[in-house]
Amino acid sequence: MNQANKNDKSRRKFLQKLGVAGASAVAGSALLLQGCSDSNKSSGNKVKVLTADNKLVEVDVAHLKPGDKIQDLSYLQERGREGIPGKKFVMVVDLAKCKNARKCMKACQSAHQLKPEMHHLNVLEMEDPVRDTSYWMPKTCQHCDNPPCVSVCPVDATFKRQDGIVLIDNERCIGCRFCVAACPYSARTFNWTEPKNSEEFAEVTYDMELNVPQKKGTVTKCAFSADRVREGKLPYCVSACPNGVYYFGDQNEDLVTNGTTKKTVRLSALLDNNAAYTLMPELGTKPSVYYLPPRESKG
Amino acid sequence: MKNIKQYRLIILFCLCFLAVANVNAQSDWPVPAKENENMSPFLFDDDMVLEGRISYENSCTSCHGTPGQDDFTPMAPPPGDPASDQFQLQTDGALFHKIKMGRGSMPKFEDAFADDELWNIVAYIRSFNKDYKQPLPNMEGVEIPEYSMKLSFDDNIDKLVVKVFAKNQPQPEVSIAAYVMGTFGKYLLGKSQTNELGIAYIDVDPTMPGDEEGKLSVMVKASKGFGRAKMNEEMVMVEPTIRKSAIEGRHIWSTDKMAPVWLKVSFFITVFGVWFVLLFIVIGLRNINKANKEEA
Repeated sequence: MNQANKNDKSRRKFLQKLGVAGASAVAGSALLLQGCSDSNKSSGNKVKVLTADNKLVEVDVAHLKPGDKIQDLSYLQERGREGIPGKKFVMVVDLAKCKNARKCMKACQSAHQLKPEMHHLNVLEMEDPVRDTSYWMPKTCQHCDNPPCVSVCPVDATFKRQDGIVLIDNERCIGCRFCVAACPYSARTFNWTEPKNSEEFAEVTYDMELNVPQKKGTVTKCAFSADRVREGKLPYCVSACPNGVYYFGDQNEDLVTNGTTKKTVRLSALLDNNAAYTLMPELGTKPSVYYLPPRESKG
Repeated sequence: MKNIKQYRLIILFCLCFLAVANVNAQSDWPVPAKENENMSPFLFDDDMVLEGRISYENSCTSCHGTPGQDDFTPMAPPPGDPASDQFQLQTDGALFHKIKMGRGSMPKFEDAFADDELWNIVAYIRSFNKDYKQPLPNMEGVEIPEYSMKLSFDDNIDKLVVKVFAKNQPQPEVSIAAYVMGTFGKYLLGKSQTNELGIAYIDVDPTMPGDEEGKLSVMVKASKGFGRAKMNEEMVMVEPTIRKSAIEGRHIWSTDKMAPVWLKVSFFITVFGVWFVLLFIVIGLRNINKANKEEA
């Protein structure tokens, strides 16, 4: 009796599982087919998208479906933690070219819902009292390969991804500001008040790659524009710069692209030929942001 | 009264002078006569304008702003608005030359864009001019060849070999440009010309990192006169590189997911062991206390 009961149960379970698997397979293939449906109407407007296997493909805008996934918080959370496989993003800042246009800051603040006094990226004036000169130095989060902020976070709200980007999940952040204290580069800032235009963003699903909508009582910082990078576009600051200060790219490819001229150069050659340095290397944080000294350099 | 009139005159004079000086400043970028008469080999159509718009928004908006909006970045000299007369009164060849060669704070786009991409940008700039009629070169009796390419890699000399054909005939003296396609842009491998056998060689740096199979994604363009061809291919040309994850292995900042089982187990055994010993002592003390009370 017992045996028969057990068998019956397991059969029922098996059938249930089969049903679920079958339904999901049908739904999945339907979705896939829908995604692939080649409607003959093409707008001629092409966008670049990154496929699941990390290939950049050009897709016609008409063929894109407004993804329900993009509204799904759990999907966005998973994607944000996961990162982009096979990449390691780096930035090179050519100090010789920076003229304090501050276009990068403007682009960054408008993208990340930041008030004027809050900076993910700040252009600082570095003074040399001996020679009585100064130069401009844009400073972002360094996306360290040995990030002190991540070690001190008690709730795993700030983390490093496989592509080297350090992000914050403000759904988990408890606002303790340990990371602010731990960061030697003062790259992090805190939402003491309601963020800019918070009413407008009330209904928006939180995307940690963009870190919008911002939340009062949480820490925020530069995210290397992870949302843009996922689409194969250069970060907001990099493409906004009028003076060709920023190079951005993938260390694994050994290629970095200048945001202004779109010229792509070998990263290793750029760093070696121009005596590149990182900020506070003695701390062993291994930054992913390199600086070229403030002199005329060949880039 | 007289003074005021004089002031007005002076101010008027200054304004006129400034206006003239400004126009002068704009027009003192000499373009070689040959370049000035250069014409686009392509008819500016909607596709070209669209391509040009993408390039423009990526590379030009930061200084020149959106054409027709006069929202260019204030610089000295001012970059100007491409929809303005100052731009539109120039020939196509002049615009092409200035974008390609650059000057001062105007970057040189020769390495970033191929010629056809530069013409796309010119087409986009012209799309803001309603009165524009595109001058076309005389095409009578010109036959535009259809090029096809074969790519291979010679690993003895680390060179990319490009063969160019038209109607199964090898084509000499065709200009070849080869690029490696990166995540955000294309890296120029080199430029070359085909020899009398229709073959061009382009050096490949063997130290370039490929993917796990040693593949590089290359894009080759062939052009001669009005004939053009473009080809994308993934080719095994360099050493395979293992792409490591930035969070591989254990670090001081790793999450507990990375901790090995022995560490987790021994940690909990130690913690509970200490608690057990403390509890044992407390219970022992209580028992001694009890025994004391019973004796008393």
